[in-house]
Amino acid sequence: MSRVTMKAMIHRTVVFALIWAVLSAGDPAGQVLGLIVVPATVWLSVALLPARNPLKLWRLTGHTPRFLVGSVAGGVDVARRAFAPSMPLNPGWLRVPMQLGDGARVALGAELSLMPGTLAAGSDGSVLLVHVLDLDAEPGRAVEAQAAEIAALTDPAPEGP
Amino acid sequence: MPEGLADIATIVLTGIGLVFFLAGTVGLIRFPDVFSRLHALTKADNLGLGFIVLGAGFQADDWTQLAKLGLIWALALLAAGTVAQLVARAALRQEGRE
Repeated sequence: MSRVTMKAMIHRTVVFALIWAVLSAGDPAGQVLGLIVVPATVWLSVALLPARNPLKLWRLTGHTPRFLVGSVAGGVDVARRAFAPSMPLNPGWLRVPMQLGDGARVALGAELSLMPGTLAAGSDGSVLLVHVLDLDAEPGRAVEAQAAEIAALTDPAPEGP
Repeated sequence: MPEGLADIATIVLTGIGLVFFLAGTVGLIRFPDVFSRLHALTKADNLGLGFIVLGAGFQADDWTQLAKLGLIWALALLAAGTVAQLVARAALRQEGRE
């Protein structure tokens, strides 16, 4: 077993054990069942999603506050546009060239969908298709900044262009 | 925390959450196309659920209830981000076909 897989299994065991501990809190029988469920889940998880680019967990802790601030800003921004009588929208599309691998691209897409004014709609080859609510708000720069942050979360960092 | 204060926090936070859910629904009705509507649904509803989870958290008896509320929000967040991408991609393909 490779070092990367070993490390991923330890990480995932900790995460799934914590989740099981929360779900089964106060029920001793349920907690014992976790001794079967957690290893089975770790096995399934590694089988379905092999560890290729392990996350840098400490970078994730740095990323989380920025993600929370961005998602609040995203919600407020879209609520403002929805409620405003004039409904200020200038929707359009961005084509953003990507160096990211599949997993990172899905993560970036999910994240972009919660950031202000952007929504990922799959990719066309190596180009990420992003729908934007307001072309005047210079959304391209924000998308590139997000992509760089997601890229920095994995190791090794993908090669730059 | 005194019970009165916790109740006020719950009322205020869940109230804010409901405003965002309303915003998501208003956007769903008013926005011009599938993609713009998806923006409204995912972003506003995610924030609405976040505030409702925070508000409900003030009524929790112990940390496991807080953690469960946190899990609910995290799961909904993950699902919203993923589903929004899938719907957008499907809508885009359909548009290309027509």
